[in-house]
Parts: sequence; C-alpha cells; structure tokens
Amino acid sequence: MNKKLGVYICHCGGNISDYVDVEKVKQAVENEEGVFIAKTTIFACGDANQKEMVDDIKNNNLDGVVVASCSPKLHLLTFRAVTERGNMNKYNYVHVNIREQASWAHSDNKEGATEKAILLVKSAIAKVRLSEPLYPIKISSKKAVAVIGAGVAGMRAAIELSNMGCPVTLIERDHFVGGRVAQWDVLFTTNQTGKELVTNLYNDLINRKNITLLTGAEVISNAGSIGDFKVRIKKTPRYIKEKCNDGHLLKAIQACPIEVPDDFNFNITNRKAIYHNFPSEYPHYPVIDIKNCTRCGECEKICESVDFTQKEEIIEIEVGSILMATGFDSYTPAEGEFGYQKFDTVITLPQFKRIIDLNDKKLTFKGKEVKSIVYIYCVGSRQIDGDNKYCSRYCCTSVIHAAIQTKKKFANIQNYHFTRGIRTYGKQEILYSDSLKSGDIYLQSYEEDPPVVLRENGNTLVKINDILTGGKEISVKADLVVLVTGMIPRKDNKVGALLKLPKGRDNFFNEIHMKLRPVETVIDGITISGACQGPKNIMESVNSALSAATKSFSYVSKGMLALEPIIARIDKNLCTWCGACAEACPFDAISVEKDENKDIAAINNSVCKGCGMCLPVCPVNAINLIAYSDNEIESMIDALAGV
Amino acid sequence: MSSEKINTSFDALVIGGGIAGGESALNLANNGFRVLIIEKDLSIGGKMILLSKVFPSLDCSACITTPKVSEISRHPGITIFTNSKVKSIIKKSKNDFEAEIIKYPRYVITEDCTGCQLCEEACPVIIPDQYQYNLVGRKAAYIPFSIASPRVAAIDIENCTLCGACEKVCPTNCIDFTQETEEYLIKAKTVVVATGFNLFDPIKIPRFGFGSYKNVLTSMQMERQLAPTRPFNTILRPGDAKVPDNLAYVLCTGSRDVTIGNPICSQICCMYSIKQAQLLMGALPMADVTIYYINIRSFGKGFEEFYSQAKGMGVDFIKGKIGKITEKENGNLILRYEDINENKVKESEHDMVILSVGVLPNPDNATLFHGEELKLDPFSFVNQTEPLASPSRTSIEGVFAAGTATGPMDIPDSILSAGSASSEAISYLIKKP
Amino acid sequence: MPGGKANNNPKILVFSTEKISDPAIDMAGLLKLHYPPTVYTISIPCSSGVKPIWIMYAYEKGFDGVFIAADGSDCPYGDSCTEKTGKIIGHTHALMKEMDIEPARLRMAAICSVCSESFVKQMKSFNEYLLKNSNV
Repeated sequence: MNKKLGVYICHCGGNISDYVDVEKVKQAVENEEGVFIAKTTIFACGDANQKEMVDDIKNNNLDGVVVASCSPKLHLLTFRAVTERGNMNKYNYVHVNIREQASWAHSDNKEGATEKAILLVKSAIAKVRLSEPLYPIKISSKKAVAVIGAGVAGMRAAIELSNMGCPVTLIERDHFVGGRVAQWDVLFTTNQTGKELVTNLYNDLINRKNITLLTGAEVISNAGSIGDFKVRIKKTPRYIKEKCNDGHLLKAIQACPIEVPDDFNFNITNRKAIYHNFPSEYPHYPVIDIKNCTRCGECEKICESVDFTQKEEIIEIEVGSILMATGFDSYTPAEGEFGYQKFDTVITLPQFKRIIDLNDKKLTFKGKEVKSIVYIYCVGSRQIDGDNKYCSRYCCTSVIHAAIQTKKKFANIQNYHFTRGIRTYGKQEILYSDSLKSGDIYLQSYEEDPPVVLRENGNTLVKINDILTGGKEISVKADLVVLVTGMIPRKDNKVGALLKLPKGRDNFFNEIHMKLRPVETVIDGITISGACQGPKNIMESVNSALSAATKSFSYVSKGMLALEPIIARIDKNLCTWCGACAEACPFDAISVEKDENKDIAAINNSVCKGCGMCLPVCPVNAINLIAYSDNEIESMIDALAGV
Repeated sequence: MSSEKINTSFDALVIGGGIAGGESALNLANNGFRVLIIEKDLSIGGKMILLSKVFPSLDCSACITTPKVSEISRHPGITIFTNSKVKSIIKKSKNDFEAEIIKYPRYVITEDCTGCQLCEEACPVIIPDQYQYNLVGRKAAYIPFSIASPRVAAIDIENCTLCGACEKVCPTNCIDFTQETEEYLIKAKTVVVATGFNLFDPIKIPRFGFGSYKNVLTSMQMERQLAPTRPFNTILRPGDAKVPDNLAYVLCTGSRDVTIGNPICSQICCMYSIKQAQLLMGALPMADVTIYYINIRSFGKGFEEFYSQAKGMGVDFIKGKIGKITEKENGNLILRYEDINENKVKESEHDMVILSVGVLPNPDNATLFHGEELKLDPFSFVNQTEPLASPSRTSIEGVFAAGTATGPMDIPDSILSAGSASSEAISYLIKKP
Repeated sequence: MPGGKANNNPKILVFSTEKISDPAIDMAGLLKLHYPPTVYTISIPCSSGVKPIWIMYAYEKGFDGVFIAADGSDCPYGDSCTEKTGKIIGHTHALMKEMDIEPARLRMAAICSVCSESFVKQMKSFNEYLLKNSNV
C-alpha cells in the first residue's frame, strides 16, 4: 500500500508566495514518506503546469497527488481531472488550501503562515497515503424536470426544456399563470403588453404534449435527490368544470355576494369570491376562492359549471431535476412610510401600473383626476436603516417607463421624479433621455435626507432638499404619490425550505458561484432562475431561465448520472444493528439487512449523500465515511499536531 | 488541439472564445454536441482572463477563469482555432451554415512548444505589449501572457526582423517560418455569436489628455497593474515610476456621451472602478482615491453593499462631470469639474487619473454574415429580435447571440446570456424540422 | 498544557464543513481578516458527522482546543444538524470529563457560509481563552 506521491506547491503568482515561503514548504515536505516528486509552480492551474503534472504522473507511475494552492472550491475538480488524464484514480488526489487559509488569512505573519502551510501540506500527504481509488456510482436519471412557478421565467424554461425533448411538469401555486408580468401593461423595449407576452407563452406551452401544467398546485414534500426527485404536489380544485359555459359563469360572478380585495390589482379594486384575473387570463376559466366563499349557493343556481364536489388531489411525480422560478414579492411599505396608508394619495408602483391599465382616457384615482404625479424612488431598497441593503435593479427603468406611458395615455400629466441617482443601466439610458426630453422633472435627495410627504390644506406635498439644484428645498404638490417599491424575496418560502435551498445575505436564493455559476445551487440537481435569485427585469429573467433550463437538461439528458462515491460504509463484523444510524440518517438511506446469522445495517448507495450523520451515533463505531475514515482523520491530526 | 485532420463539419460554430463563447461551447458540448470555437486572439479567455479581481466577490479573476478555460480547451467535444478569423458565413438552408475561416500562422508548431520562453529571451525586438495594454514591452517572439491558453509562443511577424535568434535557441525546433495562412471551409448547423465588446479609446476625448499626459491611464491599464500577472510588482505612475498616492477615477469616459456618439450606459464601469478603488486601498494603504461620477449604478446582486463598503473604506465619491484635465510640470494632473452637490466649478489635483472607459460594439459583427443579414441595433450591437421572450435570438434563424455582442453586461449577465444562447442553440439542433 | 508551540499560540483544530463553514473561513482569508496561524482546519461534509473519538484523539496529540464550525440551520443535509452536532458536543464533554480535560476546551458555533467575521472573532476569543488558561 506504499504510494508514490507527487506534491505541488503553488505560488499563485504571488498570492501565496508573497506571504508563504513556498520553497521552504517544499523542502519541509519533500522527504515525507512516499513523496517522490515535490515541486513549486507559479500557477498550478495553468495549462503548462497541468501538462507537466500529467507527464509526471505518467512517467513516474504516481498513485497519489497533492496540490497546495487556493480553495478547493476553485480547483479541486481541475486537479482531479489532471490526475485522471495521467491515468490515476482521481480520488487519490488531495487538495490543500494554503491561500485563503494560510497566505491570505495570515498575511500579517509570514512565518506563521509558512509554518501552517507546511503542516497543512503534511496532513494532506498523510491523508493521500491512506486514500483508496474510488469509482463513481452510476445511477439512472429520470428524463423529466419539475419547473416550480409559472411566471414568465418558469413558462419560458418549460418551453425550452420541451423543445429539447424533455418532459416538464410546470407547477403554479396560483390558479392562473403569468406571475407578475401578467399584471403589467406595455413592456419596455418592445411594445408588447405583459398580457400578450403571457398569452403567447401560454398558447405555446398548453398545446405541447410533454408539458403538464398544474395550477393551484403546491409542492408539499420532496424526497430523493438528483436524477430521482420524488415530488408530491397538492392541487386545490377550482370548483369550476373545465368545459364551462361562459355566459352563465359571467352571471354567476355577478351573482356572488362576496367582495374581497383583489390582489391581482394589489388591492386597489375588489373582486368576488368567484373570479377571473383579467379578461384573458390562463387557464381561461374562473376559480372559486374557497377561503372567502360562504357557500351561499347563488352561483350554483345560475351556472351548471360550478362544482363544489371537486376534491383536493395529491399528485406524485418523479423528475431528474427541479428548476425554481418562484419569483419575488413587491415590497410593501410600512404604515406611514412616505405617508403610505396615512394619506390616500400615496400608492406603490405596482398599484400605479394597475391604475394606468384600468383607467381609460382620463387618469383618475379615488374619483379625482390626476395631473401631478410624484415618484419617490428606492422605497424598500438601498435602505440605510432597514435590512434591504440591495438595489432592486429594475425599478428606475420600470418607473420611468410607466411615467412615459402615463403621459402617452393621458393628457396634461406632469411627472416629478424624486430619485437617489438614476440607474437606467445599459441601453435603458435612452429611456431616461427620452423622459428628460419629454419634460419630466428629476430631483435627487441626499442619502441621509429623504423626501418628506405631508398634508397641507387638503393637498399632498412632497418636499426634498435637491442635490441637483445645490441643496435647494423644493416642494411639489402631488395628486398622486407613487412609491417606487422594489423586489423582495418571497415571504412564503415553504418550497425553498422544503428543498433546503440556501439563501444569500439578501435572502434571495443563493447560487453556487456569483460570477460563473449563477443558476446552479449547492443542492445537486436543483437550479434557480428569474427573480427568486435576485432582482431582474424580464430579459434578464428569461436569460437566467434558459440558462437554468440548459443546466437542468444536462442533468437529465443522458438518462444517467455518475455520483460521488463518497458514502458511508458499514463494518459488518462490528455492526450489531441497534438502528441508531437509520434513525440519524436524514435521507432514509439505511435499512436493516440479514448477513449470515445476524442483522446488520445496510447503506443504499444511490441515496446516501455522504453527510456522515450516522457516524457519531454508532455505539460500536462500525461506520466510516469513505475518504473520511478514522485512519485518515487521525493521520491528519497526527500531521497537524506535528507528531 | 489543432491537427491536420480537423473535421470540417460541426454541430455548432461559436464565434469568440471569451467567457460567453466558452460558456456557450461548454453547454453545447456537455449535451453531446460538437463545437468549433473561432478566436481571433492568440489565447482564449477573452477580457476576463486579463482582469484583476471580480466584483463584488473579489475572487481573483485569473483563478476562476483558468479552470473554465482549461475545461474548454480539453473538452473532447470542443475544437478551438485561435489566431483565426471568420471571413464569411452564409446560411444555405435551415441547419446548414457554411463558414469560411482564415487561420493565421503562429510561426510556432503549437504541439511542440513547451512554453520555455527561451525564444522570448533571445529575441532582440521590443515593442509594446498589447496584453499589458502597452504598459510594458514584449518581444516579437513571445508567449502572450503567463496564463494564456494555449500557453505557447507566437511570432509577431509584422515586427519580426527575421534575425533567426529564436530558431537557434528553441530546444524543440518548433519555430517554423514557413507556416502559411490556412483557409477552412466549415459546415455547422447553428451559430453562436459571442464576439464580445471593444473598449472606448479615450484618445477621442482630447480634453482628458490621454496619450499625451503620461499619468492618465485607462481602467484596463489599471486592471493590468492590479492583476496577479501584473507588469510591475506594485502600482506605478507610467510617467516617472513613482507610486501614486492620490488617484482619481473619471467615470462615464466614452459612455452616456452623445458628443462621442455613445449615448448609452456601459453598465460595468461604476462597479469595476469601485472594485479597483477597493483594491488600490488595499495595495496602497496611504493612498487617497476619488471617484468622479454622474450616477453610481450599483444595481446587481451584492453591488449596492459593495458600493457602501467602498464608501466605508474611505473612497471619496464626488458627483460631478470632468470638464478638462491639465498636466502640471511634475506630472500631476489638475481636474476641472462641476461639483453637483455644492453647485460650483472646482479644481483638484491628483497624481494619477484613471479613465473608466466604456463598452463599445465589436465592429466585426457587421461583416460576419453574407447573404442573409445579421441585423444590428441602433448602437451597432447585434439586434435582439425578441428581447423579452427569447433574448438571444437574432435576425437570422439559427444564429444566437451570447454575452456583450448584444450590449454591455457584466460577467454573470454574460454567463446567463450565454446559457440562454446555448439553450436555444441546443433546441434548434434537437428540434425536428 | 503542552507548550513549545509556534508563535506560542495554543493549537486549535477546527472541524469545518465543505459547503457551509469552509466558504466563510475562505472568505475570512479573502478579506484578510487575520486570526492566529495555529488554527488548522480539517474539512468534512457535515458537522454532525464528527466522531467524538476524533476530538479526543486531537487532545491526546497535543491540541489545546477543538472547535466545531457547525453548519447550523444552513446545513444542506437537513434541519436536524444543529441538534445532532449539539449531541456530539454533549457526548464528547462526558468523555472529556472522564479524561480530566476541561470542557471549555471544546467549542462549537454555527458558522454560516458568509460568517467570516464571526469565525475570526470565535478564533480570537478561543485563542485568548486558551492562552490565559495555559499560563495559569
């Protein structure tokens, strides 16, 4: 079992060698037992060095390699691949992080950093001496993807997967598809309306045999893992038969005595307990809001399509990958924030957009004509005191676009923008120029001195100390104050919690790598797209949806996946089957099995995720995690202890 | 690796081997399609591989690009032509594109070069190094940069004096002056345009003095000074090799400026300038850094927090447009600007000025396709025919645009756009006619 | 306490986790947040997979302190992690008592993937504590 080892210590072009004496590290380890080659290199990850390593491995028949460089997050896979190209088993490769955890962490103490690097490399050598060759566990992967959320991102991803020949279950919690975009009128950059965009996507997907759309559907449990997720979905009924009589239904809606705030219109209007979303919503038949329905029976009397006997359904699907497109919530201002809920002239941007859509010819709100509109930017975003530190990205462009649309649709509108610096990035800049040309007035508040909304003699006034006029106090009388509210993560994170998706500092779902892997997550097989990962406009959401579709597709396209062989292993001789391990396993990967004449624990290799939770609970120490066995850990401790 | 037996037909042709082209190629190849990447430069990796660190995670750019680049270059489904150019692409019919490719000679046998750099030492010619943005010189026989892929030498024939010194020292005899330009005719079923962007050349704004004032640099030159493969070991003023201690950034140089013909915002300059400012504060703890801006556009994930962090570190942000820069005898620079917060015209002195240059379209896009036209938008980026529902679609069915070919964007947006383009390309390849 | 350490700092062994606490520890380096260089990590998949015998082995080999940089509620393997890691601490404390090792030499805290500052604070305070108590 004596291995021939190669050890490479990286300068990282100074990132390591400026603080760690890499030559000294090399000298300290080159005589360790088993070390056949020890080298330093300027960039271990560079092509030239990779080539050299392959040659070293082949020419000398190395069967263990250690590279001491940066975080394994960056290069573990790179070097595993290098060893494979040298025809070595890649699990006989051990990565040491002497950059983030030595040179950079201890850049204040070069000697200490060097000492630490030496011990870390020695412990890796100790580990690789004991490592064993491993082979991936091959499992089959169901060629099907669950897309959660049927907004524009989810629908677009579903269509793309369908194009690739992959069956999709599209799961929407609401009874209607289209998400936020359905609520918007004319969209920026095209003259399409949100309804049109949603209509096009819906018509495209509804006729496809390989897309199953489930509305009113919520994921209630998830088991399994990449290649084989078992997703249970609760589908609540609409209480309306699918083939319904439109005329009768319309009358039934009129007859319903219940009125509740319509959240499709952000509560600026009311709807009945039996309701549509908008005239061409999808699927194109209404729903009974059973929570608010009093079962008075008025609708049933009029319309034969009403069916209160419909039952909740539980649907179970098996998919190889899950694509998240659960979107965002709009920030709701606190009571009194810029006069919200205190003055009836103060509304949010989403409400304003619905008002533009719902009004014709004349813009009125609460019966009064609106001419002077003040927009207060960054409400709920870039908070100085609150938790939402981030910029919501879409709002500057969105509100300027809405302001322009308002002027186009209604006469005599004057727009006043109370900003914190306009962020119409990229080509959106043109919209801002257009808005300036059309006579919109822009003011900017100081960071610590936001505008104030107040009421004087029955008028709503907005006051600002304006940067752009050298700090002058300016006061504008407003018929309507629009709070430009940003995007916040979904308040209801049930599905995220269920799938155990990690969140970032901003509470949106977190990707694996901010720069290069923006749609993958730490949970293998689950991708994230659209605004559930962070604020985005439609184009950006669709780009991320299609990216996620490609990644999800690559998990399932081959029908087969190779999984990490690092899993738990039972020592049959020691095991006396007490069941403690099975109880500790969060994945139900352990069951009891007969071995000769006694019961022992058995690991299900494709379910075991290699977390190791079963290890410490075993009273007879009969379980080891492959690559983290007692021998390996203890030899690492020996090396780190310097004994 | 290139060889004589290159198959002349591929599933997908990807034009551009930067981060967007590379990501597109990987997505396609990982789903079983065969891809050819055409890269005009000597190395793949585009501009990203030359950057210092990336915002807002401050990952070392070279460190995260190199694994991607190695993955691309060793993928069995991907063939790469570097130092090559698309002469023309003609769409014959659905799923049938014919591309004429010119592969320029490197005058080095790629397979035999070990990258030992002896030729570089021997070469007597010194000219400005374009990969270090002319901050230092390079030889006419040279390795483009230390983490280039492929990391092999090339001869710059325009500047070579044909003295033969390199040939004499080359241990593997891989220098070959008989190499000639090769032309390929390549068939592909789909095309991804990932031609990237050009940086604004500030020589077009004479009042900033770039080109005549030595201590006025572009942001890409500063990027190189901060990169791990940097030309100097510290930050230096090119004028007198003095370490600067009072630096100024001029944002929107060549962006949001109708006078130079570019009315749009470049989307990345605010953030890379803030990043550089943070790195400078780390590299030169005593230095003052001032950023002159119109609006700070820290709109992406973690950006606003990164901006706050820079303010917290002491970077001085001044809202104001620069009118004129003048040079003092000692090489310091006087910036005349309108301070918006105080509503008056002011002057300030800095010992180094960095122009945060903007993103311009790659003019090559106009001439790639013959026959059916690849339409451009009003700013000369590749036109997106369905910007909302299918952002990577172009005016030619089967041709998809990835990354900054369609407009300014940062790295994650380029990756997403590349994901989108490759996704549509995969669908286009799979969908039965 | 065993003496003669590099920089005279106590030796601390950290059991960190690949997906959660390692990124935070890496980021501490990235941000150049310094902590004593006599802190060493052994990285494992999940903090509820640490065997008490490993911890005991570390004391035996001369480590002054052991710190579990736990996944806490961020654990990718499930919500039970915190509770299970807690049980490991309890069990190890019992073993430590038997061997006459002061329980305060074993510490645990949840270190989320961006908790770099918290990690550094923990290391500094643990180091100080061990320093004080080894000088007694």
